[in-house]
Amino acid sequence: MQFLGRVGTVLLGLSLVMAMCLPVGAVEPVKIGVLGPMSFTQGEGHWNGATMAADEINKAGGVKVAGVMRPIKLIKVDTNEFLSIPDATNAVEMAISRYNVDFLVGGFRTEAVQVMQDIAMDAKKIFIGCGAAHPELCTRVTKDYDRYKYWFRLTPINSKFLGKVDFILLGTAAAIMKKTLGIKKIKVAVVAEKAAWADPIVHISQKVLPAKMGMEVVGVWRPSPVAKDCTAELAAIQRSGAHIVFTTFSSSVGLTFAKQMGELKVPAVAVGINVESQKSGFWEATGGKGNYVETINTYARVAITPKTIPFYDKYVKLYNQAPNYTAGTYDALYILKEAVEKAGSVNSDKVLPFLEKTDYIDTAGRVVFDKSHDVTWGPGYVTAIGTQWQDGEIKCVWPYHWQKVFYEGTVPFKLPPWVVDYWKNKK
Amino acid sequence: MGLPGVYFRRTVKVLRTEVLVLPSRVAVLVFIVALMALPIFTQDYYFLRVLILTSIFAIFAASWDLLSGFTGQMNFGHALFFGVAAYVTALLNLKLGLPPYFSIPLGAVGGVLTGLIVGIPCLRLKGSYLALTTLAFPIILTGVVFAIPDITGGELGLAGLSRLTGSRVMDYYLTSGLMLILGFTMWKITDSKTGIILHAIREDELAVRTAGVNTTRYKLLAFCMSGFFAGVAGGLYAHFMRLAGPSGLEVGLSFQVIIWAVFGGMVTIYGPIAGVFILYPLMEILRVVLDNFPSLPEIRMFIFAGLVLLTLLFMPEGLIPWVRDKIETECPRCKVRNVFSRHRCRVCDADLD
Repeated sequence: MQFLGRVGTVLLGLSLVMAMCLPVGAVEPVKIGVLGPMSFTQGEGHWNGATMAADEINKAGGVKVAGVMRPIKLIKVDTNEFLSIPDATNAVEMAISRYNVDFLVGGFRTEAVQVMQDIAMDAKKIFIGCGAAHPELCTRVTKDYDRYKYWFRLTPINSKFLGKVDFILLGTAAAIMKKTLGIKKIKVAVVAEKAAWADPIVHISQKVLPAKMGMEVVGVWRPSPVAKDCTAELAAIQRSGAHIVFTTFSSSVGLTFAKQMGELKVPAVAVGINVESQKSGFWEATGGKGNYVETINTYARVAITPKTIPFYDKYVKLYNQAPNYTAGTYDALYILKEAVEKAGSVNSDKVLPFLEKTDYIDTAGRVVFDKSHDVTWGPGYVTAIGTQWQDGEIKCVWPYHWQKVFYEGTVPFKLPPWVVDYWKNKK
Repeated sequence: MGLPGVYFRRTVKVLRTEVLVLPSRVAVLVFIVALMALPIFTQDYYFLRVLILTSIFAIFAASWDLLSGFTGQMNFGHALFFGVAAYVTALLNLKLGLPPYFSIPLGAVGGVLTGLIVGIPCLRLKGSYLALTTLAFPIILTGVVFAIPDITGGELGLAGLSRLTGSRVMDYYLTSGLMLILGFTMWKITDSKTGIILHAIREDELAVRTAGVNTTRYKLLAFCMSGFFAGVAGGLYAHFMRLAGPSGLEVGLSFQVIIWAVFGGMVTIYGPIAGVFILYPLMEILRVVLDNFPSLPEIRMFIFAGLVLLTLLFMPEGLIPWVRDKIETECPRCKVRNVFSRHRCRVCDADLD
């Protein structure tokens, strides 16, 4: 009897412990799959942005779904999309069928995003793209709305508009040079890395610059995306008498080019796209020689909206680097939260109409989705920004009273002093 | 008893005398039965996707073995056949609206033509020169793909192909069934007279030529056949993924296929198939096991590379031939294989010890 009594006590104790371990009235979390190449900067951005937003939302109680506060649970989906497309599709399929995610955010390489998009659409899961800029991803929504309606693009802006901003930055720099240095006709050297995505920019700039912008194209240079030496190109550019170097770089050549251009003090201004110069480590990597390089960007410590600076500062504090545009997953989570709360459900079909009606001020501007579920670009919406390195700091220089748009903290575009001296002496 | 009874008895007899006597054949039988019965137990989308891709890559790896393993024509750019067929299939499906059962075979014909185009200039080359030249072809084609984006879709590739079949389970049966049929066909080819000549070319081409065989013709045939099977894999891939893009031509894919084949065991056909069926799902298992592990792709690649290196260090012939040699012995007299536990040959009764 004594033995049975002991066993009974032990069993009672065990069941009490188990009962204490069980969550009382466990609430099903809202599961969000974060897709990205996690061992690359882009995927890091996806994950960091999403983690930051999820932590904030969970600290504030979670997402209110039909009166119940549900926490957000992020599922890290390493797509490895740079190296293997099948890997990316397997990862997305796993997130959907194994982890039963409610929503998907992220994605980067267009070819992979297309396939991931198809898998998400098959499962009728809302997928907010935060990385691939190709127009086709949103064109699919207009072509076959019933199938692709669950896709939205938040960041970056459509590559068509990226191109537009690119040329606006060039035009602005040209106007400043003309005014400051009294140059009549601006000469432009088009330098783009030898990659497929850069081809349309080269093609269009050869047409548009002389015909519509009154500039002269003195030559086109296409260094390798991973070139370690650009002195030959730079020497030729210097000989060509170019005032502006119109850059299109997404790879490491951006670093080499900017560094050597500064070292050689080429009397021209570098304007355009240089992804390397968007990173915090650019200044150290170029040993300060990348001063005055200008590029299109998404984030800088400037008040695009009241949310930008707090977001930027917190991101830098947490991750010790400036956010890149894939960190737009931060906003994607807030936009989803808003739509889910309005819909009172995590069901894609119920959330969809509210997501379509999104009018939300996020960290990059005012987000309104157009008919193709693409983020609207333009004054009063998301504009993207132009940033320039000025003496060790990355400064926002555009929009500077462009179409009445001015973000608090934006500074005027600066010409490198050696460029000013060279062209003034030349006169 | 009737006709079914006769067939039944014959099947049982074949099973008893030809299949159940050898562990390797039992393993193949178990593999086929397991593969066919799997959807009865699970229809998990993710699980079936991984196995569908495994079957597609298994056809691809076996086709490499047919050319490089059996014939000894070292091809370092095998993704060319795969990629070309994927593009041809995609173009036929998207532009002409051909359904998969037409577009995939025609895509494979694209693979055959590619085999011809590559084969003719490459036949003058041998060894590392051939390997390097073949490596260049997919890179050249990638350039062409980017140069004519209106046709090839550029970096986006061609997307939106019609589905392979209506459902995931049917996709699974189609790909795994085709893998078994094509794998068996390739194995039979290597066992035929043509196969023996191809094998002989690999061992000593000069000797074969002296025997009066037009080796050029046979080597070209190997290129075309390999192109066909790789082409079927490419076509299946394009319809399953609903995409034919530049990633199908990447150097990484060409090397991947070599790793699978060498790991499983070259010059066997079934070795590369087994290699893919071990390594490809293994990578996915690692994804699940190492969930949320930092630098997941690197760790996976590290484990993958380590495993391949260790296997090749201890089993230079590849995994499957090594295992087969352990569980079976060849009769020194009649060359028939016997289970390792036998002391006398099951056919000629010769002493195996």
